[in-house]
Formats: sequence, structure tokens, C-alpha cells
Amino acid sequence: MSQTDMKRQLSDPASDATDSEDMEEDDEYANYYYDNTDDLDIDKPKKTDDPEYFEYTILQTEDAERLLNEEVERLCSELKMSPSLAKMLLHVGQWQGEDIIERYQQDQRKLLTESNVSCPKEMKEDSLVGSSPGCPVCAECYPRDKFMGLTCGHLFCPHCWDMHFRFQIEQGITMGIECMGQKCKILVPEDFLYSVLKDSKLRDRFSKLCFMDLIKGHPKLRFCPGPNCSVIIHAKEPRAKKVECSVCKSTFCFRCGIEYHAPTDCDVIKKWLTKCADDSETANYISAHTKDCPSCHVCIEKSAGCNHMQCSKCKFDFCWMCLGDWKSHGSEYYECSRYKENPNIANESVLVQAREALKKYLFYFERWENHAKSLQLEEQTLQKITSRINVKVMENEGTWIDWQYLQNAAALLKKCRYTLQYTYPYAYYMDKGGRKQLFEYQQAQLEAEVENLSWKVERAEITHRGDLENQMDIAEKRRQTLLKDFLEV
Amino acid sequence: MANIAEQRIRREFKEVVKSDEVAACNIRVELVNDTYTHLRGEIMGPPDTPYEGGRFQLEIKIPETYPFNPPLVKFLTKIWHPNISSVTGAICLDILKDQWAAAMTLRTVLLSLQALLAAAEPDDPQDAVVAQQYKEHYEIFRRTALHWTSTFANGPKKDKDYDDKVTSLINMGFEEHKARVALSTNQWDLTRAAEYCLS
Ligand SMILES: [Zn+2]
Ligand SMILES: [Zn+2]
Ligand SMILES: [Zn+2]
Ligand SMILES: [Zn+2]
Ligand SMILES: [Zn+2]
Ligand SMILES: [Zn+2]
Repeated sequence: MSQTDMKRQLSDPASDATDSEDMEEDDEYANYYYDNTDDLDIDKPKKTDDPEYFEYTILQTEDAERLLNEEVERLCSELKMSPSLAKMLLHVGQWQGEDIIERYQQDQRKLLTESNVSCPKEMKEDSLVGSSPGCPVCAECYPRDKFMGLTCGHLFCPHCWDMHFRFQIEQGITMGIECMGQKCKILVPEDFLYSVLKDSKLRDRFSKLCFMDLIKGHPKLRFCPGPNCSVIIHAKEPRAKKVECSVCKSTFCFRCGIEYHAPTDCDVIKKWLTKCADDSETANYISAHTKDCPSCHVCIEKSAGCNHMQCSKCKFDFCWMCLGDWKSHGSEYYECSRYKENPNIANESVLVQAREALKKYLFYFERWENHAKSLQLEEQTLQKITSRINVKVMENEGTWIDWQYLQNAAALLKKCRYTLQYTYPYAYYMDKGGRKQLFEYQQAQLEAEVENLSWKVERAEITHRGDLENQMDIAEKRRQTLLKDFLEV
Repeated sequence: MANIAEQRIRREFKEVVKSDEVAACNIRVELVNDTYTHLRGEIMGPPDTPYEGGRFQLEIKIPETYPFNPPLVKFLTKIWHPNISSVTGAICLDILKDQWAAAMTLRTVLLSLQALLAAAEPDDPQDAVVAQQYKEHYEIFRRTALHWTSTFANGPKKDKDYDDKVTSLINMGFEEHKARVALSTNQWDLTRAAEYCLS
């Protein structure tokens, strides 16, 4: 193959389908020259009909502050109120500006009362007696006009307010600071706080903590959970979609902030991870690295990601998960990922039911865990590929660009196996029925093609390039099909 | 001790001692030493409850940040109640945690505790065993609480049946309190209580 032919075939399968803007295309092009670790084209879906497509931007602290301020100002000018009050209303009302405006215009008093920002007149209390009353908190007497308070009428001396703010801020409370009155839920707006609190260090700390509180309460903003990363993700819609931080490179689910988990949704993955943590002892024995060959019984260690194993001694092809003949795993009849429930379970004893429940859980856990391990092993494969390419390039056997497809294949494999891993918690919690059958069918299809791809990537240098690229295409299509049908969007 | 805390406690002390309302409800506070950081409270079990007539002693510790943070309160007198630990006396009550407000006083706390004795909240339990009994075997719960009140809080009403059961476990060689806990935990079933003591 001539150099030009090679270059022509270089475009990876994912970018063939892109209808991205020119700017992005320039970026992709640039990537070919320096990016030798991650193929960004594979990881960032761009087509709007892609089930994983997600629009978001990465904000620095100042950008996020500006964004919040704009929303506050919009509400201020619309409802003619102080920024401090507007901020409070937005925070309490989850930043649903339109909704707040509507409710305010319908019944201003009701909204303010329900949001705990002001107190209806008839509920006002004045607890002070005499011209020089004692502060209800510190018992010190002051002239009446020294006392301060919010709309609820609970009055306290400035010194006590100051102490109150100090202790609340120390406990990390900012937007949720309440009046000191008994059973009083009225929230302290920041202008009142700043009018009392003079300590500049504390004012600073308040403003920082407050900002964090506001971001955490904003449905379209999220701090990057990456270690020591301070950027903020701004999403167009608050969805459970994948975000990759361009600064620290960590990937996570926008909605819940933990590792991306499609097709499983946020609540289910949380339930699953808790279950795995609770049952970790029960499941421990599974963590075997060696198994015996089902044909000749020689001990075999799993050192690569692929679950299609071949015994080095007798050459028997078998499945690492179920130890069955690999032939039975040919894509049409792939049964290995499907758990066969006892159809008569409802009539069995409690003990049998408990045993069955454990069996079912272990079945799914084992596959979940195994894919996680395969991902680690395939990470090592990728490193090996990279260093082998390095050698080839040094020996003038082609350039980095010529071998890019191997990197792409490894990256795509990772992405497909990752999704495959997260299909198991989804299937575990699914109800029996037609939808589960369809899911299991597509899961089995993906399972088969991922193992085929893994098998070929491990033998990349002897696999025909066209064959490998074809396999990449099939695997990614299976993944997309499954996500299109089952990823809640 | 911070100045505000001491000043407040001094004033509250007078408030509790003087108040007529307080005398009627039978609540009391006294100093344990003269530093105002450590107090002893007492509440009378409310009428028409299994705690009626009992006197319950409370340990009250005043943090330096009082009244901006709540006092630390626990029961010294053993009590059988869903929101109070039968082992440590620890209390689950919102105003002693995040619902505290600086304007609240020891009087508020004592009256709230008395109200808690009159109206348990078994869905927010401190003692899971008691809470479960409260929900599933209310009559046994009521008699058990009464038995504990007469045993530990000088309550006037005795339950001869329960007293006899404790005695029979003691006669089997078990220590008195262990026997009482075993019976209370096992719905006063002698056989199961004996097994519980042995396990
Ligand atoms: Zn004061
Ligand atoms: Zn108030
Ligand atoms: Zn980051
Ligand atoms: Zn999520
Ligand atoms: Zn073999
Ligand atoms: Zn298998």
C-alpha cells in the first residue's frame, strides 16, 4: 500500500459520520500530529442523533460567577427586588427563573413565604420589652434601636448576629443560615449578613462557600469531580450524560457526578454500587485470576482483556466467563450474558428463593467485575501497542500516522467494553418481559462483537487492517443501537 | 467558658427556677459544680403515659459556643422509649441537633423532652429495638416502659407479672439488668430471654 492510500484510509470510523463544524474539523486534524494517547474523535460524539450527544461548556470560576450574576440581575430587573433577595429566591427555587417570575406575579406573598425569605405580617413577633430590653440570646441590655432583625420581627443585638454568622459559616452553612428565633425558618439574605459581619477573612470565606453552595444547587452547573480540578461544567440540559473535563480529563455523569454509567440510570447505578459494597464479602471468591482449561485442565492465567480464551496447551477455544466452548458464543446464539431464572421460583421455599436471589446477583456481579478487569488489562495492551508502534517508527517502518488506526481500535474497544460493563446493573434491575428480552438480545450482540474486537486488537499487527476496521464499525454500531433503545434521554 | 454562654445560663437558671409554669410541669435544673458548664436537669413523666409519676434525671453539658450551638443532653435515668437509647440515654430530638435556635433555652429543651415522652416518634428512632416493639406490640411496649419507670425513675405503678419474670431469670443466675434487658427485648418470653442471656 502506498503512503497516500494509507493516508486516505486514516480517517477513523467515528469521524466518517460526523457533520461537525469547520473549527472542530481543524482540531481533529491537529490531533493526528500530537495526540498519541486518546482519540478525542471517538470519545466525543458530535451528531445530534447520537444517543450520547451532550452539549456542555467548561467554565472557570469567574465565568460561572458571571453566569450566576446574569441570572440574578435578570430576576432583579424583572421583579424589581434587591440582588440579595433575588439570589435567595433563585437558590431556593432551583434557578427556575421563569417559574419564579410567574409565581411571584400570581401571588407575591405566597412565594416569599413559601421560600422562607419573608414572614407574613400577622406572624410578626416582637419579643423585646421596655426601652432598654435584654437581647434574647446574650441577655445583655441595649437601647431599642441597636437591635436588628429580619421580616419575622425577631430582634437580637448585632454582637449575637455576628457570633451566629461566625458559627454557621464555620459549619459550612451559607445560603441556609436561618434567623435565631425559636422555630423560625426565615433565611438570612447576604446583604443583611454583610451589614453585620465585619471580619474580612470571614466575609471572604462566606463568599467562597456561598458560591460553592450556589453552584451545587444549580441544576445546569456542576463542579468537575476530578482531583484538584476547579472548573465548572455548564450543561445545556441537566441530563445523565457523559462529560469529559478538558482540563483534568476525568469523565463522569453530569447529573450525579460519579463515573459515567450509560445505559444504567443514576438511581439504579447508585443502588447497584451500594449493593456491591454491601455484598463485597460474598462476591470476593469470584476474583480469580486463574481457571482450569475445561478441556485439558491445565491452569490458565487471564493476562489480557479478551474473554475468548485459547488454551496454550490443547488450543481449545473457550469462554472465560462460563468456561463453555467459544463456538457456542458465535454472535447469533450468544447466551453467556443472559441469566436464566428458575421459572417456578415463586412456588419455592424461602431458602431456595434466597439462594436463587444470591445466584442471580453473583451472575451479574461476576460479569460486571470481569469487564472492569478486562478494561484494566486492555489498558496494558494499549500501552504495549504504543511502545511497539514507537519501535516501528524508530525503525522507519511507517510513521505515527500510519499506525494511528491501532490506537483508534484500542480506544474504541475501551469505550465499547465500558458500556458493556454498565449494561449488567441495568439488566439486573430490569423487570421480566419483552423489553428485557430485547435488551438481553442487544447486550449479547454487543458482548459478542466486543470480544471479537478484543481478540483482533490483541493480534492487531497480524490482523488485516481492513478486517480490524470493519470489526470496529460493527462493535460501535451494536453499542449505538443498544444506547439508542435504552439510554433514557 | 465564653462570656455569653455563662451570662445566658445564669439568666436561664433564674428563669427555670422561678417560672410558675415550670413548677406546674415539674421541671428542674441544678448546678453540678459552680462553672455553669455542667448541669443536672430533671423532668417528671407526663400524665397518661407509661412514664407518669417517674422522675427522670438528665445530664446537660453547655458547650462554649452556647447558645449558638445546642446544649448536649442525655438521660441519666434508664428509660424505655423509641427516641432514647435504653443503653446510653442518648436522645434523638431535632431541636438538640439541626433545629436548634439561639433563642431557645434550657426551659424549651426540658419542655420539649417532656413532650417527647408524651408523643414518641417511632419512625425516627434512637433505639431500634424499642421502636420496633412500639410499632408491633404496643401493649407490651407500654407495660415495659411502665416497668422501667417503676424500676429506675421511682414510678408508682408496679407490674407484678413482669417483676416476677425478672426474678425468675435472676434465680437462674443471670445478673438483674441483663435479665431485664433480655426480657424487654424478647417481648417478655422467658425461654427466649434466657437464650438471649446465654448468647
Ligand atoms: Zn445579644
Ligand atoms: Zn425570626
Ligand atoms: Zn476537571
Ligand atoms: Zn448519573
Ligand atoms: Zn487446554
Ligand atoms: Zn460464555
